[in-house]
Amino acid sequence: MAEDMSKTGASGEKTLIRDISFCGVPENGSNASMVDVKDGKIVRIRPMHYDWKYKKADLNPWKFEVRGSTFEPSMKTLIPPYSIAYKKRVYSPARIRYPMMRVDFDPNGERNPQNRGKSKYKRISWDEALDIIVSEMNRIKETYGPTALLYQCDQHGENKVVQACHGAGRKLLRAWGGFTLQIRQPDSWEGWWWGNKHFWGCEPVGQGQQSNLLWDISKNAELLLFWGCDQETTPWGWQGQLPSRLSYWWSEIGIKQIYVCPDLNYAAAVHADRWIPVLPNTDAALYLAITHRWFKRGTYDKEYLATHAVGVDKYEAYVMGEEDGVEKSPEWASPICGVPARVIKALADEWASKRTTVVIGNGGPGIRGPYATEPARLQGICLAMQGLGKPGQNQAKMIEWGLFDKPDQYAQPKPLRVPYLRKAYTGGHPDESNHPSFIPKTYVPKAILEGECDWWGCESETADRVNQFEHYKYPADGCSKIHMVWTDSPSWITCWNSGNDYVKAMRHPDIEFMFAQHPWLENDCLLADIILPVNTKLEEDDIAGDIFSGQYNLLFPEHKCVEPLGESYSDYEIAVMISERLGLKEEYTGGKTIPELIKYGYETSRCEDLITWEELNEKGYYAVPTDNGWEDVPAGFYNFYKDPEKYPLTTPTGKLEFEAQGLAEHFPNDLERPPVPKWVASGISHEETLETERAKKYPLLVVSNHPRWSVHSQHEDITWLREIETCKVTGPDGYQYHPVWLHPSTAERYGIKDGDVVTIFNERGAVLSGAYVTERIMPDVVYIDHGAKWDPIVPGELDRGGAINTIVPRSTTSKNAVGHAVSGFLVNIEKTDMEELKAKYPEAFEKPFHPCAGPGLEACIWGRA
Amino acid sequence: MGKVLVIDYTICNGCYNCQVACKDEHVANDWSPIAKPQPDTGQFWNKVHDKVRGQVPKVKVTYLHSICQHCDDAPCIPACNADAIYRRDDGAVIIDPDKCRGNQLCLEACPYEDVIYFNDSLNIAQKCTFCAHLLDDGWTEPRCVDACPTGAFRFGDEDDPEIRALIEKAEPLKPEIDAQVGPRVYHIGLPKPFIAGAVFDSEADECTEGATVTATNVATGATCSAVTDSYGDFWLNDVEPGEYTLVVEKGGYLVQKLGPVDATEAVNVGDIAVWKV
Repeated sequence: MAEDMSKTGASGEKTLIRDISFCGVPENGSNASMVDVKDGKIVRIRPMHYDWKYKKADLNPWKFEVRGSTFEPSMKTLIPPYSIAYKKRVYSPARIRYPMMRVDFDPNGERNPQNRGKSKYKRISWDEALDIIVSEMNRIKETYGPTALLYQCDQHGENKVVQACHGAGRKLLRAWGGFTLQIRQPDSWEGWWWGNKHFWGCEPVGQGQQSNLLWDISKNAELLLFWGCDQETTPWGWQGQLPSRLSYWWSEIGIKQIYVCPDLNYAAAVHADRWIPVLPNTDAALYLAITHRWFKRGTYDKEYLATHAVGVDKYEAYVMGEEDGVEKSPEWASPICGVPARVIKALADEWASKRTTVVIGNGGPGIRGPYATEPARLQGICLAMQGLGKPGQNQAKMIEWGLFDKPDQYAQPKPLRVPYLRKAYTGGHPDESNHPSFIPKTYVPKAILEGECDWWGCESETADRVNQFEHYKYPADGCSKIHMVWTDSPSWITCWNSGNDYVKAMRHPDIEFMFAQHPWLENDCLLADIILPVNTKLEEDDIAGDIFSGQYNLLFPEHKCVEPLGESYSDYEIAVMISERLGLKEEYTGGKTIPELIKYGYETSRCEDLITWEELNEKGYYAVPTDNGWEDVPAGFYNFYKDPEKYPLTTPTGKLEFEAQGLAEHFPNDLERPPVPKWVASGISHEETLETERAKKYPLLVVSNHPRWSVHSQHEDITWLREIETCKVTGPDGYQYHPVWLHPSTAERYGIKDGDVVTIFNERGAVLSGAYVTERIMPDVVYIDHGAKWDPIVPGELDRGGAINTIVPRSTTSKNAVGHAVSGFLVNIEKTDMEELKAKYPEAFEKPFHPCAGPGLEACIWGRA
Repeated sequence: MGKVLVIDYTICNGCYNCQVACKDEHVANDWSPIAKPQPDTGQFWNKVHDKVRGQVPKVKVTYLHSICQHCDDAPCIPACNADAIYRRDDGAVIIDPDKCRGNQLCLEACPYEDVIYFNDSLNIAQKCTFCAHLLDDGWTEPRCVDACPTGAFRFGDEDDPEIRALIEKAEPLKPEIDAQVGPRVYHIGLPKPFIAGAVFDSEADECTEGATVTATNVATGATCSAVTDSYGDFWLNDVEPGEYTLVVEKGGYLVQKLGPVDATEAVNVGDIAVWKV
């Protein structure tokens, strides 16, 4: 590769470096990319080459030399296809180019909230839009008080720092007098957060300590158990594809890889030495049976447990049937989890005989299912019984290497410095709380539809374990009910629990005004009364870091690649415009301009002593070298393993709590998250297993992973992704349906053929989908990933886009844990009678859609089609 | 000096970066005189195919790639009656977009599938150019190779020792045709049929480790064998396509015979019960 040539060569192109990643948290940048531009147009987007302006030796490259082989980071960033295709997102037919208002919304007359999701939009000017927004804010504040405004502004979106993709209004609203904050409950960490913090601590997320685990695995592990982990998918939007290269190398050096998951996910498809299909969200039974085998044969580390754990006897009593008369044997577990008893025994024996690391990746049963706390804690128990923290025996993550700026989350070789851009960040951060008025995101529909609710904990995404014992309610004392919604993260419907309830909540007459700001007309935008157009990040100046790649850390100023499309502005600029009309601009901006904020970002980046501002701008980036001595950083739980007294955990006892002391004290009678983890087939929150009565009506379990071809709801309009065979299935009507994977035997039983349009339904609603008949899914299970773009036929009831989250459980993880449960639930399916449906809903099927980009602006603009 | 592309299927993770980068380079960008724009969708100068083989739970996925082979004796060149197709000194075979008259004779002449596409709106045939416009601008490799995260796509000079070593490992895509046309794209690790299954002791309900499974090709009599692991699993990899009979043997157990099984592609014969003598 020769970047200099593209910069200075005959082509006349200019190369700019951009962070094209999608976490939306300032310290979690990644996927540094080179954007070549010419004549005001993006020519191409490609991997960033570290050696563009530095020599390889400047980077002090790390190396794993072990078992006769060497692994080194690549000299380029390993960006995913979303980053390469991002030009299509910039110029998407779904881009919002000017402010719009719902045609039947009249702030001085009929508001017609019942038509949200149905009505079309007309163009208005920025002045009109801002006048209405500000006068509604003032009216709401005078009528109900400021907490009547619900601000939805949590992460997952483009990574921006100064231009703040999400939450730019938080500081403004505080100056304005207050608001109610939607707190993103810690999603994709549910079981670890609500479960394992009570088992092994590990604040703030509850996943195991990660430091130096990539090196530890390479040196010491003999067996890797990828449990609901797809490192060929989930890390893409966050950090790129080093996990892929590592996985190939681990196979090459003889580390065995077993994948436990209902679907042959994209990692299992290319890396698995063995695939163990397990019925969705039944892994708790499988873990219990494994430990039963170990107790029975004595194949676990009793000495370790004596010094490192508490409550083992109570757990053993449950497993061996002394508590309830049922031994949790492989024969007991087999019909529940669908794994033959002999395979469970073989797995238990292999695990006990080899140095085994369990590998997770923010997917699978530990997070996304009803009662996720149970499989999550039981996984921890399995690890503990074999001596957690011994070399090669940890819980390793394939994602978020360096999460929340925590040293113990650095699985990769430690860099000399971690660039830090929090200080210049203008948006909302996951660790902020908003007392007294906040609602966990999972409870927003309940709060609005029922008018009141209460819950435990969740004051922020990083709240510690003991916060789970604090009780809160909506409306908080002295605070108002919600009457206005401001969203800058309009992807609720397709990403959260029971999206159909959210649709109903936003159509509730209590919600007098809702406005959204976003670059694309998608998902929750379709419910807003006013929509404001936002730039993509390629249209803005900013500063960024790349810290998640696992290769080298980077710091770079970001220059605008192209001019903003239409009348769009950045989220931060929009907050500034609102602040101006509220008379709060000086207070909000602190008098700083955007260029000043960018420079301030550098000055507070922790790298300011390593490179001057001038050199940074001249080179375009700073590549942080690897720290000397990275090899010596203790791996994972090693310190705790060596000396649990000196390095205690953050549990009440400092030990691994097989019986959680905090839960025993505060929730002794909670059957859904009992002090000792259990197999919970059903309870007051959920009936979502095959053992329940509901299964007679809805006999199929759904597994729903993070999507391969989008990041949650992002990138659904990229034509180059939609034409990939596992991304969309084109129906006979030319509409690209979201795929549902069916095993040939399941498809045959339901009379469904590959390519058919299929209705997936339960009592919470129905979604249409395109059948993808494949051996990559076990029989009697359906796989559909989440994040498909919502395209309602009947808002709140029936969706054409395939947004499966519209029909996932409305209850949270469990009674006292407000995580969401979005995989491992019951449905039925049938071949869709398209003619009947078209006759019933002619209007919905006559809506125009882009044949290759899906539903866009055209269907929603007043006066067209 | 001739350029070659080497595709290693054993380390292709199916990320589609190559297909998408090709689109990013060629859709809506006019690289005349090397290439005119590629249509936004439906045509692929570098196409990935998901090849799913086997049955639950013995399933593997290999990602196949259709791309112009840039043949030394490319049949498309003489087939074109407009003299629009030429071979550069570096080996890249180019359809001159200005000379092409849309007769589509090259599409018929090409012995490989999904390589040349006909662009209706421009009335020209189009295909991979090895990104010759970039090579001419100083790049050392095409977009697909730059975008590949694992090294499954490698591009270089055929005389480079590193590239030579890779070529040594390559196998022909279509043996008879390759020999005639001399492709400049090399393929490592093309998927071959496997026969897999699991052996278990049905009385004890335990997986049977250490059983020898021997497969015999019904047509040729050729045999191969594998020993089961602690899950009772066996994998007979890279067998010749055909029908096979299987024999399962382990000391102290009755010999089990089964088949014939069809291993035209790949087959999981399922769980095989064995009984103690």
